[in-house]
Amino acid sequence: MKTIRERTGAVALVEALEKAGTEVLFGYPGGAVIDIFDSLKDAKFRFVLGRHEQGCAHMADGYARSSGKVGVCLVTSGPGATNVVTGLGTAYLDGVPMVMITGQVPLAQIGTDAFQEADMSGISRAVTKHSFLVQSADEIPETVAQAFYIATHGKPGPVVIDIPKNCQQALTKAQYPERVNLRAYHPEYTARPQQIARFAKLLNEAKRPVIYAGGGAIAAFASGDLTALARKAQIPVATTLMGLGAFDQRDPLSLGMAGMHGAPCANYAIDEADLIVAMGVRFSDRVTGKISKYAKKAKIVHIDCNPAEVDKNVTVHLGIVADVRDVIANVNSRVKANEHPEWLARIAQWKQDYPISYQPLHPGVIMPQQAIEAINKVSDGEAIVVTDVGQQQMWAAQYVTHRHPRRFLTSGGMGTMGFGIPAAIGAALARPDLKTIAICGDGGAQMTFEEVVVAVLEKLPITIVVINNGCLGMVRQWQELFYKKNYSHTILKEKGLPYLPDFVKLAKAHGAAAYRVIDPAKLESTMKKAINAKRTTLVEVIVDPDANVYPMIPGGKSVKEMIFK
Amino acid sequence: MNETIQRFDCFVENKPGVLARVIGLISGRGYNIQALNVGPTEDGTVSRMRIDVLGNEKVLNQVILQLRNQVNVIEVTGRKRRSAR
Repeated sequence: MKTIRERTGAVALVEALEKAGTEVLFGYPGGAVIDIFDSLKDAKFRFVLGRHEQGCAHMADGYARSSGKVGVCLVTSGPGATNVVTGLGTAYLDGVPMVMITGQVPLAQIGTDAFQEADMSGISRAVTKHSFLVQSADEIPETVAQAFYIATHGKPGPVVIDIPKNCQQALTKAQYPERVNLRAYHPEYTARPQQIARFAKLLNEAKRPVIYAGGGAIAAFASGDLTALARKAQIPVATTLMGLGAFDQRDPLSLGMAGMHGAPCANYAIDEADLIVAMGVRFSDRVTGKISKYAKKAKIVHIDCNPAEVDKNVTVHLGIVADVRDVIANVNSRVKANEHPEWLARIAQWKQDYPISYQPLHPGVIMPQQAIEAINKVSDGEAIVVTDVGQQQMWAAQYVTHRHPRRFLTSGGMGTMGFGIPAAIGAALARPDLKTIAICGDGGAQMTFEEVVVAVLEKLPITIVVINNGCLGMVRQWQELFYKKNYSHTILKEKGLPYLPDFVKLAKAHGAAAYRVIDPAKLESTMKKAINAKRTTLVEVIVDPDANVYPMIPGGKSVKEMIFK
Repeated sequence: MNETIQRFDCFVENKPGVLARVIGLISGRGYNIQALNVGPTEDGTVSRMRIDVLGNEKVLNQVILQLRNQVNVIEVTGRKRRSAR
């Protein structure tokens, strides 16, 4: 028998992370994790040093979203731990698998208000699937295995492992388990044959069906099966913001994004449909608008891996709690090929009558939508596009041609400003074969700009596009439309002063190449130069501050109340 | 919707932090817990929690589903006790 080697908890942790399949660890050192950092020298995975713990968390998140693997992050106790809370919440609401390791003061000091002590298992409770507070070094390997299991099974999400310093230092012989055994957590559900039969019958009988796919369809790797079903039965496909990329938007069956800033044809189709096949969606308020007026003519089939989602926001006719991909693959074989010519003709007419479009407001001034169109033209729907939050996020959702799953990364649920730059770093590390473009506003870019250094030092050829309208555009838009143009503290550019900070100088100070575009004629050529560059490059595009995101269904309103301009 | 007293019976793993997680899920929605009883079962590794909450029945049913998603929660049942006021 092989003799079991005794080593510290810190070494056991690094071994366990390797066994769990970690390829990249994002993090930031501190007093309560020195032992773990000391044992990283022999690690088989890459370590990426962020510049702020929030940035580290978003990097792990971007890595997970673009690869489908678990994002792993390591930070210290106290402020290191509290700084990742926003990152955990962002991953939690969007169902992103993540394992967050935080240092903790020694067990004997917990509860004494020791230096850099924070009750992380308590603080993180509302923004994680689960949090562990390790009690001894012997628990470390098994806890890591359980954390990875919980992060990836059921609806994916973040898990915290809080490890007191003395447990990192103590010796242990504990081994990484062969299999994970969680007594009370068995989130695998399968559809009953009767459910599949009913689902197939509803599909075969529907005259005006719509597939409505969300982030859960991408998380379940169901894009291929979804596409096969849509094409076989000729069912048009709308997606949520999180579902963009689940279905190729070049396919004529694509309706684009539904919801508050969605394509009119997608919202009209849902309003008129007699069957909605919802897969991996939450029926969020940003999509349904006024719930009592939502899809009144339709029977709704809701497929989700999370039993708590079905019947939560809308009452459904058939709820199937199971793996989305399994259900779609299963029903595919029972569905008849179909055509729905009248329904598709009606949709084609909506597409023609109500395209998403914009008009230039001032001659010689770049419209923000134009900047997104230029990015889309150069990247040709193939790049990973990461957004920040606000108007540029919605324009990116509307004007990028989304063709592949896991290539549009956005903070949909939490709406976290500052997500763009660090998440793009994580994505570029996961997919070096693809170009990665972060689209940020001037507000969000300032929240995590320090991470640009990381992109430069890790030699990542990402492009950071700052759509600079000199204001916090989405809030400004709401102030214009619903708050009598009282632009209370949303204008970042002071009258008579140049915009501060100077993004081009700032980027250069961080070691990146940088360009500023003011002239519409130079937009596309600059974008081409930046996206094709072999180094981290920032492009600041000065855009019209008066541009708004349209169409828009105001919060709590119905599709009938859509505003076009 | 009328507010009613709903009683949850939760069987959970007897581990530190589990009570806080269960209670946090309920109190995080702004509900006031009317009564709470926690004790061991014959199986020392399992605890039983009995929780009475005043609230909207539909939301409380949602809470049951979310409690079942918790890693340390073995089973939850809920039933309406009586209408409040």
